[in-house]
Amino acid sequence: MTREQSADAATQAIVRRAEERFRANWMDVLSATDRFFAKLMVGQWLFAILIALVLSPYAWEGKVKTVHVHVWVAVFLGAAINALPIALAIKRAGWVMTRHVVAAAQMLWSALLIHLTGGRIETHFHVFGSLGILAFYRDWTVLATATVVIATDHIVRGLFWPESVYGIANPEWWRFLEHAFWVLFAVTFLAMSCLRALREMRLMAERGAHIEALSEGEWRRSSVLDREKVSA
Amino acid sequence: MGMRSQSVGGSGPSSVPWIAFGLVWALTLGAGFAVLWSYKLRPGEAALPPSLWPPDSRIPRRHDRATLVLFAHPKCPCTRASVAELARLMSRFDDRLSAEVVFLRPAGVGAEWDHTELWERASAIPGVTAVRDDAGVEAARFRAVTSGLAVLYDAEGRLLFSGGITAARGHEGDSFGTRRISALLRTGETDRADAPVFGCSLGHDPETPAQGTEEETR
Repeated sequence: MTREQSADAATQAIVRRAEERFRANWMDVLSATDRFFAKLMVGQWLFAILIALVLSPYAWEGKVKTVHVHVWVAVFLGAAINALPIALAIKRAGWVMTRHVVAAAQMLWSALLIHLTGGRIETHFHVFGSLGILAFYRDWTVLATATVVIATDHIVRGLFWPESVYGIANPEWWRFLEHAFWVLFAVTFLAMSCLRALREMRLMAERGAHIEALSEGEWRRSSVLDREKVSA
Repeated sequence: MGMRSQSVGGSGPSSVPWIAFGLVWALTLGAGFAVLWSYKLRPGEAALPPSLWPPDSRIPRRHDRATLVLFAHPKCPCTRASVAELARLMSRFDDRLSAEVVFLRPAGVGAEWDHTELWERASAIPGVTAVRDDAGVEAARFRAVTSGLAVLYDAEGRLLFSGGITAARGHEGDSFGTRRISALLRTGETDRADAPVFGCSLGHDPETPAQGTEEETR
């Protein structure tokens, strides 16, 4: 093997090692974020049940009370929302589908919490908070999935129940664009942040691979010198 | 690096069961949210209040401005949204509207039964008076059967509007009811004089004749 061939092989080894380090590091991030969301989902479920029990424990008919639908919805629909993302986070942490299911489930949590709090404007901030937390994955496609789920919810509810989306009974035709703009505004900058974070991770992986190669070279050289000393 | 997704975590064995689980999950959630929407959008029984203010009613009515009467079950969580919407209406039209929130107090309940957070909220709204309706006598006079029913009468005691002021059960936000009341107070005209009512049942038969006494409404 010539010196040039040897140098090429060494460079390729560094590139492969950098890619390995990058993927391992990102997989750690993805798995940790999946596990974080599994805990968050349980927290949201308990919070939803608490909200239902405090705000709407019973429906009434004169003196007669029955458990309010919100309580059953919080318990059973909340559990249903959590079932798949938590199972995936436990069994398939880091899998690409896991984070997309988590994104869809997180947006459904926004919708459910908005319902349980009686459509309070303040609860709508859960959507934007969730988008920010989903950016922990450093995968912009997860934000796209969340956006599609929000858009679907808006389109369906906007057709059948416009007041619940737009706050008015007869919204102007362009009103959905205003909502879409603010979601896209947040998602655009979060996606840029994800891409930047990945670039930095890749740079760190390349530096780490270089340092590993240098250390390995030094170790080999010192081993040769040691052997020469011993044989001398 | 362009706007392309990385493929980390993109492969793995035994994905088919998860995809099947995902389909069942999506269908379950679709059905669950449909049930929730159906519940929230199911209106209560409509009222047919008298076209003129009932002369035997003990509810105070202003003669220089319109009067809105909101019938409320004191423990109905859905009516919290109606009270919130009433507060918004009052903040916009405090110069031309007075309002009474009439809280049901069924016969045979304890003295504190109707002293709830909803009562406190309603009482705290400027221009609004909370009154007690013992045994639902006033509700019967106005033929109100669902908590959250708002009836609007003009200064002469003529019925202008009857209906709910929320868009769904226990859901804050603009609604046909608030828009129609606003239009009536601003211009004296509206497209319709009613709107669906969302709330708990007041639990009495609207056909039951009212038998009022001095103590029934305080």
